[in-house]
Amino acid sequence: MFEPSTLPLIVLGLPLLASLASSLCGIWPGCRQYAHLPTIVAFAVAAVFASILFGMMITGNHSQLLFHSVAWTWFHAGNVEVAFQLTADPLAAVMLATVTFVATWIALFSVGYMHDDPGYARYFALIGLFVFSMCLLVLANDLLLMVAGWEGVGLCSYLLVGYYYAKPTAAAAARKAFLVTRLGDAGMILGLFMLWQISGFQTSFDGIFRHLAESPPEPRTITLACLLLFCGAVGKSAQFPLYVWLPDAMEGPTPVSALIHAATMVTAGVYLLARMMPVFVLSPDALMLVAVIGGLTAIVAAFIAIGQHDLKRVLAYSTVSQLGYMFMGLGTAAMIAPNLAVIAAIFHLVTHAFFKALLFLAAGSVMHAMGNVIDLRKFSGLRVLMPVTHLTFLCGAAALAGIPLLSGFWSKDQILDVLYQASLCDQPGAGTFRFVFVCSLITAAMTAFYTFRAYFLTFWGPLKTPPEAGDHPHESPRVMLWPLIVLAIGAVFLGIVVEPFTHYFSDFLSGTPWLQEANRIAGFNEFDRPHLDGLLAITGSILALAGVALAWYAYRDGTETVGSSLRSCQRLSQDKLYIDELYASAIVKPIEAIAMISRFFDGVIHGIARLISLVPRLLAEVLKPLQTGLVQFYALGMILGMAVFLTVVIVRTSG
Amino acid sequence: MISLGHFLTIGGMLFAIGLIGFTTRRNLITMFLCAEMMLQGVVLNLLAFSRYHADLSGQVFALFIVTVAACEAGIALALFVSVYRRSRSLDISVWQALREPGLLPIVDREPLPPPIQDSRDPHLPVAGRKPQRQEELSRV
Amino acid sequence: MVVATATIPMMAGQLIGASLLGVLAFFFLLPRPRGQSLALGTFFGLASLAMLFTLLFLQFGQPSSDDVAALLFWLFACVALIFAGVLVAESNPARGAMAFAFVILSTCGLFLVLAAPFLMAATIIVYAGAIIVTFLFVLMLSHVEGPSDENDRSREPLLGALAGIAFAGLILFALLSPGSGLAASQNGVLPAKVSHHPLFIPPITPSERQLLLEVAAELQKAEQMDRDQLLASDYTQATRDQLERLLGGIPDAAATDALTWQQRLALTRADPRVRAIIARVDRVRDLTRETFDQVDVALIDEMPPNLDRARSALKSLRQEILILAGVGELPSRNVGTIGFRLFSEHLMAVELAGVLLLVATIGAVLIAGRRGRIA
Repeated sequence: MFEPSTLPLIVLGLPLLASLASSLCGIWPGCRQYAHLPTIVAFAVAAVFASILFGMMITGNHSQLLFHSVAWTWFHAGNVEVAFQLTADPLAAVMLATVTFVATWIALFSVGYMHDDPGYARYFALIGLFVFSMCLLVLANDLLLMVAGWEGVGLCSYLLVGYYYAKPTAAAAARKAFLVTRLGDAGMILGLFMLWQISGFQTSFDGIFRHLAESPPEPRTITLACLLLFCGAVGKSAQFPLYVWLPDAMEGPTPVSALIHAATMVTAGVYLLARMMPVFVLSPDALMLVAVIGGLTAIVAAFIAIGQHDLKRVLAYSTVSQLGYMFMGLGTAAMIAPNLAVIAAIFHLVTHAFFKALLFLAAGSVMHAMGNVIDLRKFSGLRVLMPVTHLTFLCGAAALAGIPLLSGFWSKDQILDVLYQASLCDQPGAGTFRFVFVCSLITAAMTAFYTFRAYFLTFWGPLKTPPEAGDHPHESPRVMLWPLIVLAIGAVFLGIVVEPFTHYFSDFLSGTPWLQEANRIAGFNEFDRPHLDGLLAITGSILALAGVALAWYAYRDGTETVGSSLRSCQRLSQDKLYIDELYASAIVKPIEAIAMISRFFDGVIHGIARLISLVPRLLAEVLKPLQTGLVQFYALGMILGMAVFLTVVIVRTSG
Repeated sequence: MISLGHFLTIGGMLFAIGLIGFTTRRNLITMFLCAEMMLQGVVLNLLAFSRYHADLSGQVFALFIVTVAACEAGIALALFVSVYRRSRSLDISVWQALREPGLLPIVDREPLPPPIQDSRDPHLPVAGRKPQRQEELSRV
Repeated sequence: MVVATATIPMMAGQLIGASLLGVLAFFFLLPRPRGQSLALGTFFGLASLAMLFTLLFLQFGQPSSDDVAALLFWLFACVALIFAGVLVAESNPARGAMAFAFVILSTCGLFLVLAAPFLMAATIIVYAGAIIVTFLFVLMLSHVEGPSDENDRSREPLLGALAGIAFAGLILFALLSPGSGLAASQNGVLPAKVSHHPLFIPPITPSERQLLLEVAAELQKAEQMDRDQLLASDYTQATRDQLERLLGGIPDAAATDALTWQQRLALTRADPRVRAIIARVDRVRDLTRETFDQVDVALIDEMPPNLDRARSALKSLRQEILILAGVGELPSRNVGTIGFRLFSEHLMAVELAGVLLLVATIGAVLIAGRRGRIA
């Protein structure tokens, strides 16, 4: 039962069962308030098993646990046979542990946050389904199975963003999220087809990697395939130009934003690229484009985040920006050893999961206290009102900004490090990475600035609460505070423990078989450990502290006053650089026009069909007078007909 | 010698005349009598064939036809009686209810000739005095 | 007997003429409030009948020497058709019922000519007796005074007349066209082209029957002769020759284009009765040879000559020949044979007819007996 190869299956199956149990709780009368129990239990047990898996991989010599069941063939069509294969290698184990751990605490937080909501059971069923899909995505050993998980998380995102389905803005936001990620998914499916074709018509990762390693196709083909796959990552991980859905997705409940749009779903794109690294290293051009887009996204998102006055929007754009960082890190695999790039990106992914989830949950706590108001302009000075929330928010903000010695600092530093190394290489394309490196530095400063702007506007200044908060706004209940505390501990201490000096993380992750294979393909036979560049660390610290200082200077009294010279910039930032409006006029309006034309055409066809249906009716009108109801008339008709018939017969036979 | 053809012709003519009567006349009784005449034509045919082929089966069959015609006449008359009770008339054109909805009923346009008042009966003028008649008021 | 088979165009022309006159006759006869003209209708009707009978005369030839049957046929046929017209044209339904009674009586006369006395009696009893009386009862129930819709109007007089006469015309055309084989078959002469199923091929033509009867008469005369006359007269040879000719297959020299017995019978070979007739013919032929041999033996070879045996042999031959000559005649015991056939071959049908009558009775009582339950 507990042999190693069934552990992935258990981790995968528990959230699904929990989802079913929660939905049954919703249907069964009287059980609704217990719907959280199966979900939290399942997540916790899954986290425990994930850590067991983790432990087994560290202690034992299982570098890859494969659960391959030939009996469970998903489908079989001609030559294409897709079996239900799960694999747990160190990369997957890291992702799995992160996802289940964070999901458990977020589920616990939701118990308090969603306490009075009528759709309580639906919520827990949906996040159970989401965690199942995410685990399937992570554990899949077959590209089609991973895409199944991909679609599953997209569906759950739609359902959860549109959780308050009666609210028109929420429904519109859910549609936008789904459709925009669909655009990316379309590209990804095409990339999948291309990859299937060029790798000898197989979809399992082992098969693809082996085939492409042995007989690499020509560069243009593999670049196109990689770029198409990257489309999916752009959609799901909210990179430029498909990031517009993520800020709107804040319409969903705050724990949903924490789980899906900070820690797990949006990192699926990063995971895809990390997993497909043996393929991507065959096309350095694609990786360069990845880095460029990552950089562009980081800067644009950071710029927009400065002007937002909705706390959750700030955090959303911050997520987009940090995802850009992760892609920047992945893109350096064009120049340096792939394992370093992947380590940097995944390390930042893990730490980001902790502090971003923490920040969102703290924002949720604030919202809960303020009566669902999250506009920064409407409240201030909450540090005396909600001390625990305040301190945990501060930890998360500090981690995000990159204050030295916190986990975010170490992971961001690693990314800056690989970028610097890539820009130092003397290969063609190093100039691009120099540009990307500069972008990342600017973004680091902007990150610190907007993060602490949000912090000061919320928690500093005179105590002001909006009228929706009621008479006595108070700190959140303990069930909501404990996740905050745990995540804060993680946000502060995780980084320093696992990476910079001990290299536990990088050693563990470098043990991924296919990552080593990618290294070999790229020509790096020895495995470097990431090294700590002191100068970069100091530069990063200075930038972060400068940003914090600037924010303190501008916002320490808890209100925002913008100087006239900066007002146009502030408007530009606040209005999201008008990108949504651009999309609406350039893409959405023409499509709506086409839809109207089609509707008109459909009406024409309908008219033609009605016209054709008139013909039998006309015929009937002609023949109706025959049905007079008179018996003799009918008899006469019969006789006349018989006479005609007889005439024909007689003339024929005697003619 | 009267050949088969003669008899077949007569049978056919009887059938045709019966057909005309059935499709034209409106009185139920007359219609039915014409139908019976059609049957007679058929029986004549059968008997002619029986005679000229020297086979008695024709006469046997004709006997069954007479039997069935008798049954048919009985039931038809029962139906006519029922129909008369519904519509107080033996006119078959009264029953047009099974026409297509939306069609107007077929009515007769031509007026009937007025009934012949036989006014040539002799009548005597009134003679004598009109007797005094006590009007007896009947009280109930 | 002169057979004048009219050509098709002439016949068709006459037929169409008769039909048109018939249509006009009924158009004017059928009761209508306006436009009914009894005189015109009668005139046209008589004209049409005249034309019809001329046509029949021309097609089928003058009726033969069987005068009584011919007279009866024409009388009953005319009366039937006239009163049929009266039934259709008469507006008063009671008078129509009377006309129907006369139609029944005429057709029963025709039945008698067709050697069906039982059916004649049954029809008169059932129709003219029971059915018409019942109709008259219903008419009494619904008596109307003066002109009324049902009596004095006709539904579609033109179309109805056209339909009926067209029907009649078609039937007549089918009967009278040469391909039907009817016109020529009454003389025992079959048309050369018999691919269309002829309506009637007599197993024995009248001339053959006549010959057979003459032979039978001869044989009867021979039974009265004594030995010397028997041996002396050459009746045997003549008879033998005649019989050989008839039965052996030599066609009648007088008739041209004739078929022998065998050929004629072979055309209708599938009919079991025809096969029975063929068997009988063969047996008679064999019996003829046997009989004459026996007579010779009895009269010449035996000492003393056995006249009785010769006579009895001749008598049996005569009986067989009479039976053969009578083939194609209905049995004289009409009622008995009908009864026998009903209860042997058609027993099931008889039982079913009985059940049908019972059900009809019950049904009529139930249908007519619903009083006051109609909405």
